[in-house]
Amino acid sequence: MKRIDAVIRPERLDQVKALLGSIGIQGASAAEIRGFGRQRGHTEVYRGTEYSVDFLPKVLLTIVAADEQVPKIVDAIIEGGRTGKLGDGKIFVTPVDEVIRIRTGERGEGAL
Amino acid sequence: MRQSIERRSLRFSLTRIAALVLLIAGIFGGSATRCFADNGPQPDPAGIATGDKTSVQDAAGNAFVPPTPDPSSPSFAQQKKDYDAYQAQLAKEPLAGKLADSVGHIRIATNFSWTLLTGYLVLFMQAGFALLTCGLVRKKNAGHLMMLNFAAYVFAFLAYYAVGYAFQYGAAAINAAPTNLGGTPTLNHFLLGHGLWGFLGGKGFFLSGPGYDSGSLCLTLFEVVFMETAGYIIVGAICERITFWAFLLCELFIGAFLYPVFGCWVWGGGWLSQLGSTMNLGHGYVDFAGSTVVHGVGGFCAMALAVILGPRLGKYGPDGKPRAFPAHNIVFVVTGTFILLFGWMGFNPGSTLGATDLRISVIAVNTNLAAVAGAATAMLLWYVLFKKPDVTMACNGMLAGLVAITAPCAFVSPNSSVVIGVLAGVVVCFGVLFNERVIKVDDPCGAISVHGYCGWLGAVSVGIFADGTYGSGWNGVGASTYLGQAGQGVTGLLHGDSRQFLCQLMGATLCAVWAFGATYVVFWVVNKVKSMRVSAEVELAGLDVTESGMHAYPEDPIVTVA
Repeated sequence: MKRIDAVIRPERLDQVKALLGSIGIQGASAAEIRGFGRQRGHTEVYRGTEYSVDFLPKVLLTIVAADEQVPKIVDAIIEGGRTGKLGDGKIFVTPVDEVIRIRTGERGEGAL
Repeated sequence: MRQSIERRSLRFSLTRIAALVLLIAGIFGGSATRCFADNGPQPDPAGIATGDKTSVQDAAGNAFVPPTPDPSSPSFAQQKKDYDAYQAQLAKEPLAGKLADSVGHIRIATNFSWTLLTGYLVLFMQAGFALLTCGLVRKKNAGHLMMLNFAAYVFAFLAYYAVGYAFQYGAAAINAAPTNLGGTPTLNHFLLGHGLWGFLGGKGFFLSGPGYDSGSLCLTLFEVVFMETAGYIIVGAICERITFWAFLLCELFIGAFLYPVFGCWVWGGGWLSQLGSTMNLGHGYVDFAGSTVVHGVGGFCAMALAVILGPRLGKYGPDGKPRAFPAHNIVFVVTGTFILLFGWMGFNPGSTLGATDLRISVIAVNTNLAAVAGAATAMLLWYVLFKKPDVTMACNGMLAGLVAITAPCAFVSPNSSVVIGVLAGVVVCFGVLFNERVIKVDDPCGAISVHGYCGWLGAVSVGIFADGTYGSGWNGVGASTYLGQAGQGVTGLLHGDSRQFLCQLMGATLCAVWAFGATYVVFWVVNKVKSMRVSAEVELAGLDVTESGMHAYPEDPIVTVA
């Protein structure tokens, strides 16, 4: 089982969600975060004083899935999230040791 | 990013400097006309010549000083007899004459304070509307909304000061002088039209010369805040995607032209108000506090701009179905609505322009009844349609009731006010759904339905529900008798006056056509020259930072100091 963390543009979330839905994803979590990579922020002026806005609003989408599903999910996220400009985001895939469903106590891939 | 900010501020500074030069030139030009015709009425800037025995009236409106006998009138003999008797009495009791002068002055002073104080209440509505609309949009645009509302007040006021007031009231003394404030006799010239067919006023530019008069300026304060109301209505429909410079143009357009022209036709003694005399259409077009003059103009102007701008990105999906953009702060929405309700206590009762007109209590109660009836109807209707009473629709319902009662409030009974409120509640609910689902005009705050559609309804309601208990002699019609009754006021269809109904229907529709048409023509051209809409990236990121350079809700730990 793998955990897929995707940092995407907030306005692309709807599109990514639609594509994931069409490949049959059972669940996902989304968090509003702020981040930066190669897409730089910018400087603003407040009552005469400059300040910089480096961290830009992004969405962190987290999905835990079976190994076989991972390539399809990653492709869906790329297709939904890509605009071609700096700031499209990144996807991180990490291994997961255990998954447990709280309601029933099931473990393993059956709990996904 | 940096480069485009510098280019933008350069263009902005140049326009600012140009405007300042024009303003200064205008002020000097305007004040030069101080020494004008010595045989016309003189302005009274100190307020010492306003309000004397000629302003004294009893409760029924009968003047203390009889009118000067008019040789061409059929009752000349009787008029001369009354006038001579008065003169003889005055010669015998000069002290009574002096007392009458004091009474007249105090009457005018009472009405000045009433008009100014209710005007301040209407000014406070700016805050209410700012909160209401801010709460209804997304968080990323909150600062932008507040900036729009703030700039609306500032720039529309300047436009109205320069030319708007003169266009609207420059000829009020000819057909519509507010006698409660001393008459404003210096505003007596139509730039376009004359007599009973006036189209544009022509005195009082830059509030100088004939406009620098205490009675005139009392009226100015009251009327400018009404114009501001029309000015900020458009914010509700064009927010979240309009550029700041385009918005400033809209405000200047409304303050200088769109609002004053229709306002002249209805309140400044212009042709719509005189249709009773010229075409035997009841008391002429009647709009007590501005359902159409203020709200209709604002609402339909908003509609034209919303059509030109197009919907917000993502509002309509690829299948054409609308998507929800939920309000970010319901607390602001409700607080704003309450502030608007409070301010409306100035808007409607204040339109008597005098506390000596004791209809003010009826107006105040009618206004509140329509407000609550509208809110209740919207809540219940939404509950029936969607299983939950939506609080934003409830607030829109209250405002709809208020807009719809604004024209008829002085002329109808409390029962009629409730009915009007209910009708407005229904119209606003279906109006919102119609705009969103059928004609697909994106209106984030429901401004078009609340102010446009319900404004039209309000003016037409005068023609249906007015019961004749108030408004005798309105627009100079039927001062002695109307419909065979002495003292009969403005009357609607249900009480036997079908011509008034026709006049209202025609005038209200004309308001919609004027406001939508003039705005659409002008801003279609502006939009073709340069798009009035922000770019897609800016719209998606939110207009707070990109249009006014700061967040409404900055996150402290993540905003680092450079």
